Amino acid sequence: MIRKYVDVICLNDKGGNTRPLCLIWDEVRKIPITSIKEICPRSSLKAGGSGMRYTCVFSSRLVRHLFYDRGKWYVEMHDHVI
Amino acid sequence: MKRTILHCDLNCFFASVEMLYNPELRKVPMAVAGDPKFRHGIILAKNVPAKRKGVKTAETINEALQKCPELIIRRPDYPSYQYFSDRVRSLYEEYTDKVEPFGIDECWLDITESIRYFGSAEKIVKDLLYRVRNEIGLTLSIGQSFNKVYAKLGSDLAAENCGKKISSLAEIRDLPADRLLGVGYSTYERLKSYNIFTIGDLAEKPLDFLHGILGKNGETLYCYANGMDLSEVEDTSSSSIPKSISNSMTPSRDLYDMDDVRLVLTILSDSVAARLVEQGMYFSCVHLYVRNSRLQIRSMQTSLRENSDLAGDIFQCAVRLFEENCDFSMPYRSLGVAVSRLSFAKQISQTDLFGNEIYSLKRKKEEKALEEIRRRFGYKAAMTLRILEDQELSGMGPDDDCFFPDENFRR
Repeated sequence: MIRKYVDVICLNDKGGNTRPLCLIWDEVRKIPITSIKEICPRSSLKAGGSGMRYTCVFSSRLVRHLFYDRGKWYVEMHDHVI
Repeated sequence: MKRTILHCDLNCFFASVEMLYNPELRKVPMAVAGDPKFRHGIILAKNVPAKRKGVKTAETINEALQKCPELIIRRPDYPSYQYFSDRVRSLYEEYTDKVEPFGIDECWLDITESIRYFGSAEKIVKDLLYRVRNEIGLTLSIGQSFNKVYAKLGSDLAAENCGKKISSLAEIRDLPADRLLGVGYSTYERLKSYNIFTIGDLAEKPLDFLHGILGKNGETLYCYANGMDLSEVEDTSSSSIPKSISNSMTPSRDLYDMDDVRLVLTILSDSVAARLVEQGMYFSCVHLYVRNSRLQIRSMQTSLRENSDLAGDIFQCAVRLFEENCDFSMPYRSLGVAVSRLSFAKQISQTDLFGNEIYSLKRKKEEKALEEIRRRFGYKAAMTLRILEDQELSGMGPDDDCFFPDENFRR
């Protein structure tokens, strides 16, 4: 597993909370985030890293963890996918 | 009421942070070490596979590579370590407000009052181990006891990601005395010459006897060994006031003459004075530490008649101490300057009829002007010629080479 750093469009609300809205995978694919199931501090033991973990449901009903670590967003993915 | 104190120690902290971001390093021998180019090339932390190969903390990179040629060396990333240290500390603060740091990776927690909210000390220990591992990705060893010294010993004895409770002296009686906080190599050698080998031996000796052989330190060790350490875990909610401020430096080459020493002392004095001014404090005692090329350390100190916050005063005292106590029979590897007896108020003193008050006032104005320039444009905007003359030796600003983090001095 590796960390793939991604661009993310976020909403910073009046209460100071950050909510990721859309994940920009590459120049073509933009994946909207339908809902967020859980936000908690977690480390990623498989891909490495540690930060705030957002359990996101994407439009395709796919559930994935999105990590926010010191100003950067990343997802965990298998090496062979790239 | 018996206190419940935890000592939490992050296991091989620097190496763990590196492995957290590079999981592939978990299975291979890896160590974090300083840069040999700047003569900081010693092992700062190592992982378990490296430990199995015999790599030890504080040995040189070459020694480590001889034992383990496949050892992977990583350079330290201090901002990252500070970030994780702060995160772990804020997690501790969810359990108690009495958290006292001891270096970057260790903390004492007084949880006496917290037990009634969380159930039991064991539950807090279990919670901390679980949360630090899962939320932050690091592992802890936790020592639990009724005083800080036994708690620290407990964390030293505990395995990785485990807790160890020490309830009485009987449990640690047979351990070697050098496992106890405050017993270093030379103290242990001294104790051994008096047939004191274990913590039990130390605890059984009369107080007067220990005072006789080790002075004040003997009394402290007597209390430590008998579990009579009553020192409080410092409350983080109250602001901590530094007791001393110090900086030391290992330049890129050894120091052979007084010019070299003056140059290094200029940088160190400027740096210490800058930190003093930041705190708004005055000092009245200056300490000088020297380490020669054989790694022998000497320390000396002198007092000022009137307290001050001037870099010039620190420099003059340090140079005087050096000239009076040291010679160049052997080159010097590193120097350190510290100031202590700190206070927030400038002492009002009788004007010296025969001293040059006007000169000292002028010097103060000069230093304040220099400080303002450096505050606005950086240290390198205004430097003494001495520093520019030997860039190889001085090639750093005063804040670039602070070996001892501030918190070490806030006890």
